[in-house]
Amino acid sequence: MSASAAEPEDIIKYRKNVMKATGAHMGAAGAIIQGKVDYKKSLADHARALEATMRDVPALFPKDSDFGDTGALDAVWSKRAEFEKRAKETAKAVGAFSKVAAKGDLKAAGAAFKTLSDTCKGCHKDFRKEEK
Amino acid sequence: MRQAGMTAAVLLLMTAAVPVPAASAPVSRGELIYRVAGCENCHTDRENKGARLAGGRKLATPLGVFYAPNITPDNETGIGRWREQDFVRALRDGISPDGTHYYPSFPYTSYTRLTDEDLRALWAYLRAQPAVRQPNRAHELPWYLGLRALLAGWKWLYFTPGAYTTRADMSAEWNRGAYLAEALAHCGECHTPRNALGGFRKGYYLAGTSEGPEGGVIPNITTDKKTGIGRWRASELVEYLESGMTPDGDFAGDLMAEVIDNGLKFLTPGDRKAIAAYVFAQPPVEHAVRREKKKKKDESEF
Repeated sequence: MSASAAEPEDIIKYRKNVMKATGAHMGAAGAIIQGKVDYKKSLADHARALEATMRDVPALFPKDSDFGDTGALDAVWSKRAEFEKRAKETAKAVGAFSKVAAKGDLKAAGAAFKTLSDTCKGCHKDFRKEEK
Repeated sequence: MRQAGMTAAVLLLMTAAVPVPAASAPVSRGELIYRVAGCENCHTDRENKGARLAGGRKLATPLGVFYAPNITPDNETGIGRWREQDFVRALRDGISPDGTHYYPSFPYTSYTRLTDEDLRALWAYLRAQPAVRQPNRAHELPWYLGLRALLAGWKWLYFTPGAYTTRADMSAEWNRGAYLAEALAHCGECHTPRNALGGFRKGYYLAGTSEGPEGGVIPNITTDKKTGIGRWRASELVEYLESGMTPDGDFAGDLMAEVIDNGLKFLTPGDRKAIAAYVFAQPPVEHAVRREKKKKKDESEF
């Protein structure tokens, strides 16, 4: 079954789960970087997971998945080129983060994590409605 | 001789009336005030690449659509002809130089708590920005809200003018946080639900609303564990106010991302800590807000 044949509701649920997983790994990685917890060895794992979930964000937002239980703004579809450009920036930032995380360099990972965080916030700023 | 004496007296008067030195110091203070007060976020039509502070951003609320005016120093379309006391009166009392009342979509209900010093620093900063000629756009409101005289009644009900007064029974940090949250960053303007008249619902301070500006769902940020941020730690809120990341790894979006990017992240860490201390000292209010499902475009016209 192709993605376009899927029910919009199921696509939205799927992408929310992918986003939730992303958030969970961001939260976990953030706690390590801020030195709140001592799981340095796991940082690279979280980074790889983030690479997987953020590899192709636009694919999570196909046509006809723009209504229902979603906070996605119409701009995701009406300003598609900009949206895809931003998604690429995130993919790039997550790749860079993963690379330094794999080396175990916490300081460099912190800087890369911040760059990545800014792309998350930037995209949410322009393409997601504020929600709970 | 007599004339020289008068000149001296005038000079003396002028000095007395402007206690803030005209050096560059108040401008950087002014920029901080300007940023955290969020002037630019409403007074710039960013979505349509409008000129900075030239107005025009659409603010859709349950009561109607407001367009923030031009606040550049342009003489014809901006506030170029204003004097400092006009500006202070606008923010302190919600009254324009020609004596009409402002709609509370302009959050003078919060800005009234600013100190004289901060108001003057903000004025100096705005005066120094480039003038842009761009006429204001009229608000789109139901006819009964077009009667600005009614706003006098609204103010009597919901508006208490006056600068912030320090609470002696609270710590210096709490007071700083209260000043930042209540006066400058005006958190409650979005985060407190309003009644049908647009006044704040009593007992629901910071409890969130599903009828926020631009149709946003504004979260409950009281310390309620179930519906608010009572499970966060203060340090996590401090982190959020700088980077936008929540404890569960989500990121601020929409208006709050603007508030952080253009304002809160310019505060000192101590100031962000003070805001968190103040927010966490507020009582929990159980109040769930949730988003309506988004309608399919061709479905909305049944």
